[in-house]
Amino acid sequence: MPVRRAKTGSTRKTSARAAKRPAARRGGKRAEQKEAVRKRIVDAALALFQTRGFDQTTTRQIAQKAKLAEGTIFNYFETKEDIALYFLQLEVDHAIATVRGTPRLRRAPLEEKLFALVEAQLEFLAPHEKFIGAAFVHALRPTSKIAFSMQALDLRNRYIAFVHELIQESESVPPGSLLTWAAPSAFWIYYLGVLLYWLNDVSSGKQHTLALLDRSLKLGVAMLRKGSL
Amino acid sequence: MPRRGESAARRALQMASMTAGVTGSYLGYLVQRAFLSEKGREEKLRSTHAKAGRRIVTDLQELRGPAMKLGQLFSVQSGILPDEALAELGSLQREAPGMHPSLVRAQFRGAMGAPPERVFRSFDETPFAAASLGQVHRAVTRDGETVAVKIQYPGITDAVKNDFSWFRAVATASQIKRYFPESLIAELEQHIMAETDYVAEARNIDFFGPSLAPLGFVDVPRVRHDLSRGTVLTLSMVRGDSIEVFLASRPSQRTRDLVGERLLELFYFQVLGLGAFHADPHWGNYLFRSDGTVGLVDFGCVRHLSPAFVDNLRSVFLYPGPRDSAPFRALLSKRYALAGQRLAPKTQSALVRMATEFYGTVYPPDVERDQERVDFGDASIVRLYARESQNLLRAKATLPEYVFLGRTESGLYNTLHRLQARVRTSAIVRRCLRVGGATAESGVRRA
Repeated sequence: MPVRRAKTGSTRKTSARAAKRPAARRGGKRAEQKEAVRKRIVDAALALFQTRGFDQTTTRQIAQKAKLAEGTIFNYFETKEDIALYFLQLEVDHAIATVRGTPRLRRAPLEEKLFALVEAQLEFLAPHEKFIGAAFVHALRPTSKIAFSMQALDLRNRYIAFVHELIQESESVPPGSLLTWAAPSAFWIYYLGVLLYWLNDVSSGKQHTLALLDRSLKLGVAMLRKGSL
Repeated sequence: MPRRGESAARRALQMASMTAGVTGSYLGYLVQRAFLSEKGREEKLRSTHAKAGRRIVTDLQELRGPAMKLGQLFSVQSGILPDEALAELGSLQREAPGMHPSLVRAQFRGAMGAPPERVFRSFDETPFAAASLGQVHRAVTRDGETVAVKIQYPGITDAVKNDFSWFRAVATASQIKRYFPESLIAELEQHIMAETDYVAEARNIDFFGPSLAPLGFVDVPRVRHDLSRGTVLTLSMVRGDSIEVFLASRPSQRTRDLVGERLLELFYFQVLGLGAFHADPHWGNYLFRSDGTVGLVDFGCVRHLSPAFVDNLRSVFLYPGPRDSAPFRALLSKRYALAGQRLAPKTQSALVRMATEFYGTVYPPDVERDQERVDFGDASIVRLYARESQNLLRAKATLPEYVFLGRTESGLYNTLHRLQARVRTSAIVRRCLRVGGATAESGVRRA
């Protein structure tokens, strides 16, 4: 089945800029309206990704579902992948806000903070599991914007910086060790591994993923505290 | 037309699962605890698992890895270890890794579809007790009832299964198999697995609640079926103190005797009357009150006995004639025949010795001695039971029913010893023999 790709040269700059940050931070009524349209597009796209599959969904279908002109979509997102990336940015924003917005976690051990971070991500992704599975495979392609674009790099860096922050504020981890320095980047890879495991986890209530997360984080943080492998 | 994206996704995911799809081992959880940092250990010690935590650390240093599991099996089966240590190891067997509040919340949401704060009016994030492979939290329901919410550690069922596959592989390839025949391993597996099944536990409570009601002195919890699902079990709160707190309140000898007699009656009422018994004699499962009533919790480990086996037990309890006699030996042979086994002479002699030396002394069959009290404060009774149990193991008296009957009976005598209770043993057994389950074989009733 041929796959239609949404792409127009004229809107490239605008859409790339707009997709850079999820939240409306520029203020004003106009910005609020734009944010509302963006949300309509994303909601419509996610519903279609989940039911039809990521590859099978076209921008025309997204426009129809969102009750917008197809051209309007391109004002906000250059391609379907940009919509997916935007959604992943929302996911990371949600997870960071959850960890920071839970007062009890401030004094929690590092392993629990990291657990809460990943759990909040998975909770956010749960309604869109099928789409996430397809996006994961899509991201393995060398041309994929989901994995290999400036926005994707920005997202990854923001996530890694937050993990770094969590490790740094943990009193039990010795600062300055090689392991502490490398841990945030390694955590990103770890998260992708957990995500893959979660996608394939058929246990009731995804219990196996919870057990895997709990046990691996305890061991990982124990290594960090020790300062060596 | 096949969806290319999806099949590729499935293949990729399946490949990933080949490397990551390991449930792990329950044993692994326990061993992991031994490697926790000093600070982690300190935290554990301060938690509700305080006592068990201290033991776990020391026990694991001695019995780390597979040897630990083996040690547990040995101890359950043989009474090689002192009974106090056995009870402690029993609790170790049930210990799950402590869950932090974020994991509790995630596990609860996975089972109930919503986090605890949306299901209950209030939910205490700090557990107040350890449960069968999980922990127990206090909560208040939307209708205002204070309840105990048992939440199981994620994936524990598969972890226990993995351990038994491993143990079978090892047992087959070694001499251990002689001491642990497949029927015994299956019995243990079935019961440890049953402990992980909260749905079965809810069924057990539904059965024991009304069944124990005629006794009038035992309280069991009620299941809140509307707030229980899969790995979450919500129960009404049963009040009472642990044995330590109860004894610290210096109960009178009269109260201790009363409680002791009730515990003994509870045991024989279940075994000889109901043909099903609460088979987890862990200290924490009995709650004591100053008025002499008892709370019984944690029905994860329950053993059902066949009517024929119960009849056989009823026929040998308080047996009026000499035990080293042909009719008594015939009853023992019949018990083994029920399980499709032939009773070897050596095993038969050990059973006769147990019946004479232990049961003959502690449960005198003569009805005129019914008002005599057996003083369980005397440690020699507990020692005698342990000695005779070891003798039974040496003689390979390994019926599957013995595993949990022995464990529960041993736990009972230990509790009676701690209570320093003086108990009219024979009168109680005689009373229980009058309750239900009578057949032509139960000649004892006439004695």
